[in-house]
Amino acid sequence: MCEARTILLVEDEPLILMDLEFAAEDAGLTCLPAPNLAEALRYVESHGERLDVAVLDVSLTGNDNCLPIARELEARGIPYVIHSGDLDRKNELIRSLDAPRIAKPSSSDRVVELALSLLESGESANPSAAIPGQ
Amino acid sequence: MIWKGTGRVSDESSGGEQGDQAHTLHDTSGDRFRANHPSDKFSGASGVLFERAMAQTRMAICLTDPKQDDNPIVYANRAFRALTGYEEDEIIGRNCRFLQGPQTDEEPLQQLRNAIAEEDVVVVELLNYRKDGTSFWNALHLGPIYDDKGELVYFFGSQWDVSNVRAARSEERHARAMARELSHRMKNMFSVISGIVNITGRVHGVEKEAREINQRIQALGRAYETTLDEASSGSIELGPAIKAMLQPFEEDHRLEYDGNGLAVSFAAISTIGLILQELADNAVQHGAWSNDEGKVILAWRKAEGGKGVELCWTERGGAQIEPAQISPGAGSQIIERLVRTCGGSIERTWSGEGLHAVVTLDV
Repeated sequence: MCEARTILLVEDEPLILMDLEFAAEDAGLTCLPAPNLAEALRYVESHGERLDVAVLDVSLTGNDNCLPIARELEARGIPYVIHSGDLDRKNELIRSLDAPRIAKPSSSDRVVELALSLLESGESANPSAAIPGQ
Repeated sequence: MIWKGTGRVSDESSGGEQGDQAHTLHDTSGDRFRANHPSDKFSGASGVLFERAMAQTRMAICLTDPKQDDNPIVYANRAFRALTGYEEDEIIGRNCRFLQGPQTDEEPLQQLRNAIAEEDVVVVELLNYRKDGTSFWNALHLGPIYDDKGELVYFFGSQWDVSNVRAARSEERHARAMARELSHRMKNMFSVISGIVNITGRVHGVEKEAREINQRIQALGRAYETTLDEASSGSIELGPAIKAMLQPFEEDHRLEYDGNGLAVSFAAISTIGLILQELADNAVQHGAWSNDEGKVILAWRKAEGGKGVELCWTERGGAQIEPAQISPGAGSQIIERLVRTCGGSIERTWSGEGLHAVVTLDV
């Protein structure tokens, strides 16, 4: 009856991305795997309507970071999880994002679990997402 | 004027500057300053002390006269001349900007100009140049000096060469940035390894085994995460490393720590990590964490005799196990081999409440 939920996975390391993809598929999710920022933004643009939740790596190839994509998701009220190896370093950027964080290395199952828990606890898990974009 | 009255420094009779030993007593720039500024006199004992301090201090000091055209320097002490490499006659009468050069930033200069315009006190760091063309970082403290009537008479400038301080600061910043980048990459690497194991496990249909391998890899990855700040010392603090490794088992407060600030060698962490992982796995499957109430107390301390470390793993409220029922599993064999390899020992005893294990490692 209801369609499979869709998850956006943003991760510039192909092996980690594939691992996350497998874990998400195991959990019955449809995956949009994005290896860089441009791809991720394109997915949000084209699939924004169907997107339920996202997992974001912080530093991305080409000196990019996940901030633009995080802002896009917030504007659309889509919750996301931060998945990074840089969490403990008190990164200003990460602190400015109001989203649950999970440190690398973590099991990909746990990352997906955390993302799913945002859906189950309602869309308001990310307070800033409550403000719809103009 | 802040130096009121009359008086002079008695031992400043000879002119010119001499060797290092005597030079501070022969700084006659004060004399010349007074000769040209007859109304600004030093008075009494405090005046003598003050003038001596000005002459002898290692802090470079100058005074400028804002009433004259272009606010020229009217006094520069010996330290100022030593710092900049200019002789007195090359300094007096010039605006301080002659110390600037091609790499001097505009921003601190603007701050200086503002402070002069507002008659304010300011401290800036700017790049200045000596007479020989070499540059130095100058921590410049500038402020107005008023006379009795509250009228501005001079600006006071003190200069301090902070090149070393700045170099140390930037080196420290660099080292910190490097450590952070390394830590980030290392964690990413652990994540990649973990991905490879998962994917390979999937390809060969051994997901469960792959997951077990990954638990160990990830525990190790978390342990190293805590170590980077102290990595240069070659040893790491055991407490934070243990906490990081066992973090997935901390839920429900069923794990208690009883340790201290003990540091161990960097190489010991992988061994300790594997041992703790095995003990924790065992507790989940058969021991104190296999029911809803049991807990584990983990204590660590320096081993008796001072060398090595002793870990005590004590389970409480676990299932009752008869020692006879316990068959040595693959996990416990790993522990025993590991412990033996690093010249340690492990003693296991079972009470009615679960396992009590004492691991001694010569690390």
